Amino acid sequence: MVFAALRRLGAGFLPMVILSVLLLISLYLMSAATQNSQEFGRVFFVLLLINVVALVLLLVLIATNLVRLVRQYRRGATGSRLTVRLVVLFVILSLLPVSVVYYFSLGFIQRSIDSWFDVRIEQTLDDTLELTRLALDERKRELILRSERIVQVLMQVHEGDLALEVNRLRQQYDVLDLTLFDQGGRILAYSSKEPDDLSPVLPDSAMLRQLLQQGSYLGQDSEESGQTGGNALALRILMQVPGLHVERGLVLQARYPMSDRINRLTDSVQAAFAEYQQLTLLRDPLKFSFSLTLSLVLLLSCLTAVWAAFFSARRLVAPIRALAIGTRAVAAGDYHRQLPQHSNDELGFLVQSFNDMTRRIAQSRDEVESSQLQAERERAYLRAVLGRLSSGVITMDRHHTIRTANASSGQVLGVELKDFVGQALEQLIQEHGWLESFVATIGGHLDEVQQEWREEVVIFSDQGRKVLMCGGAALPGVGGRQAGHVIVFDDVTTLVQAQRDAAWGEVARRLAHEIKNPLTPIQLSAERLRHKYLESLVPEEAEMLDRLTHTIIQQVEVMKKMVQAFSEYAHAPQLQLSRLALNDVIDEVLDLYRASERQVRIETQLEPKLPLLEADSGRIRQLLHNLIKNALEAVSDRADGWVRILTRMLKDGRRMMIEMRVEDNGPGIPEDMLAQVCEPYVSSKPKGSGLGLAIVKKIVEEHGGVVRVYNKAESGACVEVQFPVDIDVQDDVLMDDSSLDAPIGGW
Amino acid sequence: MTATKNMAKANDQGRYWIATVLAIFLLLTTAPVVAGSVQVQQVQTRLLNKVYYLDAQLEYDLTEPMLEALHKSVPLTFVLYIEVFKQRDYLWDDGVAELEQRYQLEYLPLTQQYQVRNLNSGALHNLPSLQVALSVLGTVVDLPLLDHELLVADEPYQARLRAQLDIEELPVPLRLLSYFSDEWRLRSEWYSWSLQH
Repeated sequence: MVFAALRRLGAGFLPMVILSVLLLISLYLMSAATQNSQEFGRVFFVLLLINVVALVLLLVLIATNLVRLVRQYRRGATGSRLTVRLVVLFVILSLLPVSVVYYFSLGFIQRSIDSWFDVRIEQTLDDTLELTRLALDERKRELILRSERIVQVLMQVHEGDLALEVNRLRQQYDVLDLTLFDQGGRILAYSSKEPDDLSPVLPDSAMLRQLLQQGSYLGQDSEESGQTGGNALALRILMQVPGLHVERGLVLQARYPMSDRINRLTDSVQAAFAEYQQLTLLRDPLKFSFSLTLSLVLLLSCLTAVWAAFFSARRLVAPIRALAIGTRAVAAGDYHRQLPQHSNDELGFLVQSFNDMTRRIAQSRDEVESSQLQAERERAYLRAVLGRLSSGVITMDRHHTIRTANASSGQVLGVELKDFVGQALEQLIQEHGWLESFVATIGGHLDEVQQEWREEVVIFSDQGRKVLMCGGAALPGVGGRQAGHVIVFDDVTTLVQAQRDAAWGEVARRLAHEIKNPLTPIQLSAERLRHKYLESLVPEEAEMLDRLTHTIIQQVEVMKKMVQAFSEYAHAPQLQLSRLALNDVIDEVLDLYRASERQVRIETQLEPKLPLLEADSGRIRQLLHNLIKNALEAVSDRADGWVRILTRMLKDGRRMMIEMRVEDNGPGIPEDMLAQVCEPYVSSKPKGSGLGLAIVKKIVEEHGGVVRVYNKAESGACVEVQFPVDIDVQDDVLMDDSSLDAPIGGW
Repeated sequence: MTATKNMAKANDQGRYWIATVLAIFLLLTTAPVVAGSVQVQQVQTRLLNKVYYLDAQLEYDLTEPMLEALHKSVPLTFVLYIEVFKQRDYLWDDGVAELEQRYQLEYLPLTQQYQVRNLNSGALHNLPSLQVALSVLGTVVDLPLLDHELLVADEPYQARLRAQLDIEELPVPLRLLSYFSDEWRLRSEWYSWSLQH
């Protein structure tokens, strides 16, 4: 953590600070050097070079940054716009005040240097120098005069007296030292004011050259050349001594002392003048070097500021940029992106919050996904279970709209229920009228408060009569409200039939056992009674016996027939199905009745193009016999009685049926018996067995049909029978059966 | 009156600003300008009492800025570099002795004389004219070069001499200009001769 922080600092901030401090130091040194400071004066050029190199380095850095930023901006990189705005802002904020300060500082430098120079000062210095020069010249002239007098004296002095004379003259003319030497440099006489000075200070070749050229030399000895010590400045005069010593070329050197005060004053004047002269020369270079230093300082500061602007803008924008990228990623659905957190300020807090948010979103999304997956699994499981279920299952919402229907539901009902998903339940009747009882039964229960219900429904579909066992339950909803219904129904037709058959078979077996068996002994006993006692009795008694036994035997016979008939009803053999033309069968049966001498009119209205019927021909004939016999019996009392048989084809949607009606103009069936007229042992006739219509109903139901008995409006009864027609075997009937075998949608 | 003064000052400032920029520009692209010269006229070495002495005659020709600076009391420092080395064919030359003589030329405004000072020995000459001063500056007599003992007998030795103006001794503001100006460049070619022994 600490190392990372150090590295982060090292990558950016620290080197910048160090570099800036170093630059500042070098700038300070340069500025010091400009002000003629000796210690830095030597390294001036090096400092200048360092600063220029730093300048170039900074320029390169800034150029690199700029190029990168421009490239990012053009590419439309995230955060580049904000970076540009910040950089421009920083640069303007730093450059504007610096430029103003620079402008005025330049002015100050120019003015302050200019203020050093003044025409009057210059004039004064010139005058002072001139004055000093004049004073010196005056003294020189006076000393030359003095020297000439000495030469005048020496010209007359003989060689032997020279030493004494020189000493006297030195004292007389107040000379520092007097020296007399010849052309070979040999000293002839020497006298000095200072007793310690044993040897004279001889002139050099340049002085001698001047002496030869101009006849005399006058010069000023500076301290360094003088051996007298102190600051004493001496005036040296060289003169040739003609007269007696012409041939030897004698030269006199006289050195005159100058006072300390005059020395100091002349030095001071000369130094001040020299300094001022230097300054006038350096006026422009000074301005230039100060300006250069200032410009360098300014340029370095500005460039550092620009670089710092880039640096801080990048640092400032980095978390914002990361946030922008992160937000975009979240918008694109990537919730697992975590942003790096650098700082502990508000931006750092924002980044931290963003990370928390994405983490939580990712977590909840994963949870939703897993629960969705689980729900999907359960749904698939449920679908598989319902799909394999033989029962039909339909679910409906509160508005009686079918939501789902499994495959079996369509098969049971014989309807493409898939097409009705999303439609109201009542919509089923619009297209499939025979489902009315089914829909009505369900509909009746949907709005009930009752939670569960169970009911049997009979429908007559194209597959024939079907008995459905329907059950339903309300679906649990949210907040106590009913969410809808689930309806479960099974085709129990065969089950019901089998149960009924079994029940009737049992009754028949019991009847045969309990009733039929005792009948034969009864009959035999009656016959034997008659046979034995008829002849032995008196005629009146014999007639009575005869009548009684006759009645017993006859009634037993009737009972036997009755039991036989019932046994036939109950013990129906297996159906022998074959394809037959119903109209032909009707004609054949009617032929039997037409042959008899009855006064009843039998009419037929048979539809010529009737499809073939899949049926047991024996049973159908029995059915016809029963119906015709019933009808004939009904009209037997009327003189104008008639019986009419009609056949026709019915088409109801995809369903196709053959309808047969047997009508008569008899008295009809009493209204109170109509409901049970098809039940066994219900008859309106005094002599009826009560099984006729029951057998008819049984046969029709065995063939999957339905029977209806009603009284006509005018008079007479009508028995209406409808058989379903198997569409698959009907070639001559135009049907759209493309979707007949397709499974029903939904579950 | 004041307005014109201010304007003049503003112009002045502008001029110096331009000068600054130009100087930085010059710093990167220096162009050669006609310059003054130093020429070594004659060099002679003598062996006396097992010591080599050098006599040389040089001719200095100062440029206008140098003369101006001199007359404005800026001392000019000249350096004489002398090297003695053994020439080798296969390796770099083997240096034997290196000598540096510094001279200062100064103008004294009070006496209107020129002063030549040998900074090594301290010898001082006051001279009435520039011409004389330059000839004194260019005259080297009896300069002890090196001890004879230092040289191996029967080996060839080379010596060379060069003179130049030392701009590092100039006042700093002037030095800044002199770095970039050819008018402040005064340097002779190497004058080489073989050392007889």
